[in-house]
Amino acid sequence: TKYIVPAGCPHVNGFKVDNWKQNLRVIYQCFVWSGSVESRKRKAKSCICHLCGAHLNRLHSCLYCVFFGCFTKKHIHEHAKNKRHNLAIDLLYGGIYCFVCQDYIYDKDMEQIAKEEQRKTLRSALVDCFVSCGLCDAGVGEKYSTWEPTKRELELLRHNPKRRRITTNCTIGLRGLINLGNTCFMNCIVQALTHTPLLRDFFLSDRHKCEMQSNSCLVCEMSQLFQEFYSGHRSPHIPFRLLHLVWTHARHLAGYEQQDAHEFLIAALDVLHRHCKDDNGKKANNPNNCSCIIDQIFTGGLQSDVTCQVCHGVSTTIDPFWDISLDLPGSSTPFWPLSPGGDGSTLNGESHLSGATTLTDCLRRFTRPEHLGSSAKIKCSGCHSYQESTKQLTMKKLPIVACFHLKRFEHSAKLRRKITTYVSFPLELDMTPFMASSKESRMNGQYQQSVDVFNNDNKYSLFAVVNHQGTLESGHYTTFIRQHKDQWFKCDDAIITKASIKDVLDSEGYLLFYHKQFLEYE
Amino acid sequence: MNKDSQMRAAINQKLIEMGERERLKELLRAKLVECGWKDQMKAQCKDVIREKGLEHVTVEDLVVEITPKGRALVPDSVKKELLQRIRAFLAQHSTL
Repeated sequence: TKYIVPAGCPHVNGFKVDNWKQNLRVIYQCFVWSGSVESRKRKAKSCICHLCGAHLNRLHSCLYCVFFGCFTKKHIHEHAKNKRHNLAIDLLYGGIYCFVCQDYIYDKDMEQIAKEEQRKTLRSALVDCFVSCGLCDAGVGEKYSTWEPTKRELELLRHNPKRRRITTNCTIGLRGLINLGNTCFMNCIVQALTHTPLLRDFFLSDRHKCEMQSNSCLVCEMSQLFQEFYSGHRSPHIPFRLLHLVWTHARHLAGYEQQDAHEFLIAALDVLHRHCKDDNGKKANNPNNCSCIIDQIFTGGLQSDVTCQVCHGVSTTIDPFWDISLDLPGSSTPFWPLSPGGDGSTLNGESHLSGATTLTDCLRRFTRPEHLGSSAKIKCSGCHSYQESTKQLTMKKLPIVACFHLKRFEHSAKLRRKITTYVSFPLELDMTPFMASSKESRMNGQYQQSVDVFNNDNKYSLFAVVNHQGTLESGHYTTFIRQHKDQWFKCDDAIITKASIKDVLDSEGYLLFYHKQFLEYE
Repeated sequence: MNKDSQMRAAINQKLIEMGERERLKELLRAKLVECGWKDQMKAQCKDVIREKGLEHVTVEDLVVEITPKGRALVPDSVKKELLQRIRAFLAQHSTL
């Protein structure tokens, strides 16, 4: 492959004399990237073509004198020819044009100045933006710059010449897992985790730096697992080391009996979280202030509001969560009605077809105001006595990956059974109605959600579904995972087969994994 | 300059002064990335470069070839959204 290095040209030498650096900075500050109010006013007034007065047409400024001219109408070209001023700057993007070379040139020193000036402007613009702009959903922060390899990375690339090309139908990342004796409860979760995009990116870019002395770091094992999955090997992987580590760190899951996949998910996240370091290099043992990759991806905030029925004072707590466990119709606790006065309006494009329960129904029930009866009075700090109250749960902070656990296994004192009620779930989910911020309108009985075109922050896409077939005593777990945008595969231990979207959406559903559609840089 | 372009210039001035032009640019940038327009344009640019040859192609070649395609491929929803934003801004600063 040939590499083209952005180059300067010899014609800039005439410009690079005396105080040229400062002059160039001034041009950038005043006319290209105006940061302050006065410079913006100046830019607004003066940035018009000196020949025709237009402000569009790719305005350029001469670098040798005060002249602005259209590029499209060739007014700047005229000036360059007449005055023999051979350099101009594009006022939109800051590029330097050389009329001798007849192209934009990339001089190292000038590029450096441009970058610095742009960074300065962005910092001050950030403050302005937050102050005056309510609707802005484009984060104005550090400018995105394309990746350029470091010397070390170039070395690595040269020493490892094998390249893998990701096409739309390649199966990289898909690999079966051997069942080591009722270990499908572990396999199904591993499939979901290895296909969680952010987690995959974290491990494939080598972001885990291990500080554990022993060989029992689960995060390292996870990293190894990703290497196996993305190696291109098509034979099923045998996860014996993973199983051994799980037995070591989560004793309650040890043994060859069938375990609950949901329990395994929570235990795995817990051990990974404990073995991760947070960004400050400290061990992740503060559950409220950790920024390890597990917390960054999976941790959300659940708000609980307890309202006193007498004084209407509200007591609020926020707890972290990794998953949302949802009750289903058919369990011993009554499901319907969702809440007093609730109607069957459509949400998330689902409607009540022949009484099929939807995920949205379950979420509405989860976030409904619940009357805590007279036997469960709360001590109200406003009334200074025990009063009846209502409790309501809502989402305060949504995680990047939201996991919904449909409570299909009932373990009450009287019975142990599996609830096989069909629950329909969507490919795309909008969590806005269940947010703490939407609670106001909900309490007024408004279930219709006005579509906010500008707010994409609560939209999620389904990417993995764990299913359980069989009974409580003897059952089997499988996972549907999403590869690329619209391709789904069924992972049944060692066997991977192509699946249709219909297969996925018609399945019973036990654990549903959703990923945020749009991510903002923090 | 006729009345139309006078109005345009005045609006543009106001947008720049209030910093709104920069915000709109960032919003547009984000929307065009989201809907895949940027990737489409990148692919088009690569085609032009291949056609003209890496050694000889200039920025101007790219601008001339890409601009009409780029304009045509902007989704209507993005145009609508930007227009709405500009209208809202003008309504707020009705001294114009």
